[in-house]
Amino acid sequence: MAAIAPAVADAPIREVQLEALVVMRIIKHSTTAFPTPATGCLVGMDVGAQLQITNCFPFPAAVPEAGSAAANNNPADPYHHADQAALALAAPRAKSNASYAAEMLKFLKEVNVDAQGVGWYMSCSMGNFVSQAFVENQAFYQRATDERTVALVFDVGRSSQGSVHVKAYRLSASFMAALKENKFSAESIQKSNLRYQDILLEIPLRIHNSHLLTTLLHTLPTPPPKAPLDFPAALSELHANPALAANPLAPNLDALDLSIDPFLEKSTDLMLESIEAHITEQNNASYYQRSLAREQAKIKTWQEKRKGENALRAQQKLAPLAEDEWQKLFKLPVEPSRLEAMLVGRQVEQYARQVDGFNAVVTGKMFGVRGNLVLERELA
Amino acid sequence: MSRFFHGSDSSSDSSSEEEELYGEEATANKSDDSSSEEDSDAEEDDDESSSDEEGGKSGANRFLREVSDESDESDEEKVTVVKSAKDKRFDELEGTIRLIENAQKISDWNTINEQYDKMNRQLPTLQRALDGKAPKMFIKTIAELETQVTEAFEKQKVTPKKMNPIAQKGLNALRQKIRKNNREYHDDIEAFRKDPAEFMKEDVVEETAPAPKKPKKKLLDNDNTLDGDDDGFTMVGAGGKAMIYTPESILKHLKSIVESRGRKNTDRLEQIRIMERLFDVANSDYQRIRVLLTLIATRFDLTSGTGSQMAQEQWKLAQQEIGSLLSILEASPEIVVIEGAEEWEDDDKQPTITEGEIFKIPGSVVSFVERLDDELTRVLQHIDPHTAEYVERLQDEGSLYTNIVRSMLYAERLKANPKLEASQENVNRVVMRRLEHVYFKPAQVVTILEENTWRVVPSELDSTITPRAQGTEVTQIVQTLASYLFQHSDGIIRARAMLCQIYHLALHDQYYRSRDMMLMSHLQETINSFDVNTQILFNRTLTQVGLCAFRAGLVYECQTALQDICGSQRQKELLAQGLQIQRYSQITPEQERLERQRQLPFHMHINLELLECVYLTCSMLLEIPTLAQAGSSPDLKKRVISKSYRRMLEYHERQIFTGPPENTRDHVMQASKALAAGEWKKSAEFITTIKIWDLLPGAAEIKHMLEQQIQEEGLRTYLFTYAPFYDTLSVSNLAGMFDLSESKVTALVSKMIHHEELAAALDQVNSAIIFRKGVELSRLQSLSLTLADKAQNLIESNERVLEQRTAGTNNAFERQGGRGGRGGRGGGRGGNRGRGAFGGRGGGSGFTGGALGNAIKAQ
Repeated sequence: MAAIAPAVADAPIREVQLEALVVMRIIKHSTTAFPTPATGCLVGMDVGAQLQITNCFPFPAAVPEAGSAAANNNPADPYHHADQAALALAAPRAKSNASYAAEMLKFLKEVNVDAQGVGWYMSCSMGNFVSQAFVENQAFYQRATDERTVALVFDVGRSSQGSVHVKAYRLSASFMAALKENKFSAESIQKSNLRYQDILLEIPLRIHNSHLLTTLLHTLPTPPPKAPLDFPAALSELHANPALAANPLAPNLDALDLSIDPFLEKSTDLMLESIEAHITEQNNASYYQRSLAREQAKIKTWQEKRKGENALRAQQKLAPLAEDEWQKLFKLPVEPSRLEAMLVGRQVEQYARQVDGFNAVVTGKMFGVRGNLVLERELA
Repeated sequence: MSRFFHGSDSSSDSSSEEEELYGEEATANKSDDSSSEEDSDAEEDDDESSSDEEGGKSGANRFLREVSDESDESDEEKVTVVKSAKDKRFDELEGTIRLIENAQKISDWNTINEQYDKMNRQLPTLQRALDGKAPKMFIKTIAELETQVTEAFEKQKVTPKKMNPIAQKGLNALRQKIRKNNREYHDDIEAFRKDPAEFMKEDVVEETAPAPKKPKKKLLDNDNTLDGDDDGFTMVGAGGKAMIYTPESILKHLKSIVESRGRKNTDRLEQIRIMERLFDVANSDYQRIRVLLTLIATRFDLTSGTGSQMAQEQWKLAQQEIGSLLSILEASPEIVVIEGAEEWEDDDKQPTITEGEIFKIPGSVVSFVERLDDELTRVLQHIDPHTAEYVERLQDEGSLYTNIVRSMLYAERLKANPKLEASQENVNRVVMRRLEHVYFKPAQVVTILEENTWRVVPSELDSTITPRAQGTEVTQIVQTLASYLFQHSDGIIRARAMLCQIYHLALHDQYYRSRDMMLMSHLQETINSFDVNTQILFNRTLTQVGLCAFRAGLVYECQTALQDICGSQRQKELLAQGLQIQRYSQITPEQERLERQRQLPFHMHINLELLECVYLTCSMLLEIPTLAQAGSSPDLKKRVISKSYRRMLEYHERQIFTGPPENTRDHVMQASKALAAGEWKKSAEFITTIKIWDLLPGAAEIKHMLEQQIQEEGLRTYLFTYAPFYDTLSVSNLAGMFDLSESKVTALVSKMIHHEELAAALDQVNSAIIFRKGVELSRLQSLSLTLADKAQNLIESNERVLEQRTAGTNNAFERQGGRGGRGGRGGGRGGNRGRGAFGGRGGGSGFTGGALGNAIKAQ
């Protein structure tokens, strides 16, 4: 037994199995909280390489502790809501929530539900979740030894277009190592060969329904009528048809909706934002480069001067002056952290993938439409 | 005993200023020395004995007496005690010596030791005053001290009773020091030991004889007696001998004054008084010129410090003297004052000036006039311009200008004489000065100035550069002066002359000429290599050209001309019209002082508020239509005409509550808001109620011009803003809305269509504008274009970084970088083409995504 346990802990999580209940709860919590991101705790158990998430509960948005700096950062404007999002995002690692989570787990245990924390979830819009706060939250969970936790990201924006969008992520081991040392200088990144692609690991996700639920679902659709149906005279007739309108699972026209513009607009907007952020980072970096060059030039002249002085002193048979005094005299500028730049890179990648995926779907739909609209003869 | 004369007539009618000065000095002395009145008394004795030495009185007796009976005559003298710095030092020395003597009596060796040190510190200055010799009383003291110390030391050895430890320490230290120091004065001490009385007597004679101040002191005394003369006193020189300035001795006096120039502790006011008297006495032109040259230079020396300014009194006198110098020079053509001439060495004899030959005296009239000008500027810089004093001093400019013109005539005359080889530079300098006094003034002022000047200048004199016959036509004068400088000078003076002329033209509403000259001068490219003052002049000229364009109704030109000056928030610094208070300033006090010196006097200022008002109004007229045109597209930020205006507008829009406008800025901002909303009438009202327009000549026309501009720009703004909501729009309707003629509206709309600012056609039959629809980019399209641009920029900046990092091995990367760059640029061009294609198709197909539709069709 003792020999097996570490082996189980070492095996990486290969799959996440999500209960339908959890999905529904996350959707409910996230859509009500929208546009502020919602966060919550996941509970479940790990079975070998599979992590089963069987239940979840939301975190209350972290209330800034009275008297703390965050509470009165803006005493002039008590109605300031700008950092609501930041507060919500900080919830999973807030101190007050740790005790809240412990309490909740205790209650869950009492009602005989799985009471092992296996991670956290958050909601986002159009995939804009790659931020410092996200990384810190997940790092907070992953820091614990023999942890097996994931971050679920639920995309409210994209889910509103029809299909549920949930992803499970973990931070890669190399990134965790870098984060632990908190070293994101160009040199260390070069050495560890850390790229923005390596920050997050996506874990395949499967939604699991209980047998009971599956059975229910199978009973829901009415069997298709045997006799041929009349063609509807107009679109409105389709909507008005009680057989279709009352049945949510019946095929409908929503799936054919293209809505290219809003999606792409939003994506482009977000992409522009990211590029702005990137440019800011780039400016910081180049500013650092310039000031570093300036300081180094100064140090060099100083060293040469000191060397000259020492040569002179050697002639006069005096003890030479220390040559490494420049370390005290000059202060090299602190290199800005590259973390933010990497995250921006990852975020842009996220957007790009999203647009790519979207385009694949839309192009498919368009070809479908074209096949019906354009006559065979024209095609030939 | 001249001192007593002076003492008694302290209420006589000597000049008030003198008295004030004396009074000050006396009180200062008193406060210094009131603790030891005897000292001043003793000093007085010393002083007198020195002045009495010629009379052969035994000053030594008096001097020796002072120790015993000090206070008997102090009462009558303390009222008018006047001391020079040297006398004061002697005083101090004596005070120290007395303390030493007192301490000797009670054998307080510690005090003696301290005082001895103090005495040694005082010594060097006194020695300097006495040509390296130690004062006799010092010798006497140290000789006596030495004996005392030895005695005390011997006694100490013999008596068993211990001395108090502090005194013992003092004694030992003193003994060491005396032994060391007295070696230096060995000879003197020996002489003193031999015969103290004889030594001290000799002292007085020797002490005063070599003093460099002696002649002056004598003259001062003499001067005082002259003052007294009016009250019926006879003129008595020092030592009872009558002193008369004779024409023969003038040069000697001058020489001594010139020699003392620049030294410390010379009383320049005194010298000036002497020279004034010398000038009265002088009988030949040569002497007068020599005296005046020195006198004027000394007057300027009065304010050699950087912080001080010349008193009005002194300035006026200097100005008059320069005037008289010039008239003497004008009257006697055989004497010239020229730089680099040989100095006449022989002071006793006057040079013989023969008719027909030219005699040169070293000096420079032009420099004097320049200095006079600088002094006036400096004074004006420091006076509060809103006081009557400023106006008063400004009135002096007229006489200064006369002096400048006259010295110009003189310089010209010298130049005209080929034998003299006078430098061209002098003429250039003085012509430049004249130009600088004229260029910024309105025509009427200059005309009056010129008329007054020519009235004063003797009628037989005439200028070749600006002949009297030419009249007082201002533009003509500026033109001739400037073109003279173009021909005869180079470098900075030529550039300055050019700028002055441009400024003048701009000031007198000749926009196109001034603009053409400005452009042809090509000064924009080289101005950075000139000195700061010329750069300031350049800025001023540019500003004036901008204002001129505004008066001419050329909004765009005005805005571009003023952009550099007004857009920077540093107008004050750029125009040298006041110091900018910078919060995080890194200027050293030195820099600040220099900047202070560069400031222009108030009467040369360009009104900054007017400038700002003009700039903001122009910016508004240009920016509001541009803003309307840009709409909500993301490249809104790209086409910024005036950053500072944008910032103000943003700030204004952020305000929750806007009250009625209070200052110029508020007016312009509210007018901008009204204009953006299409309410041109309201906007025009805001603009025309700005009070500052009244400062401009022809305010009514300018207001009318502004109103018209606002109507036109209002129309453009309206079309930009509301075009998407119209299918057609009748011209007459528009004309009615903006109170413009129909032809004007047609012209404006045609222009907009031509510049592709408006997607419309003009229906001339029905006189209506027909808008085309679907031409505008959709939001997604414009966003995509922006994204393409951004991405391209990103690539370029990445390439730059790469180049930076791989400076050494650029070969491998250049190929890659080049390809990337080309790709990026190609993308950009593609974007532009895309825009054109959308315009061309004009919303034919029903696809929302035009680009995708195209792609599908192409397959």
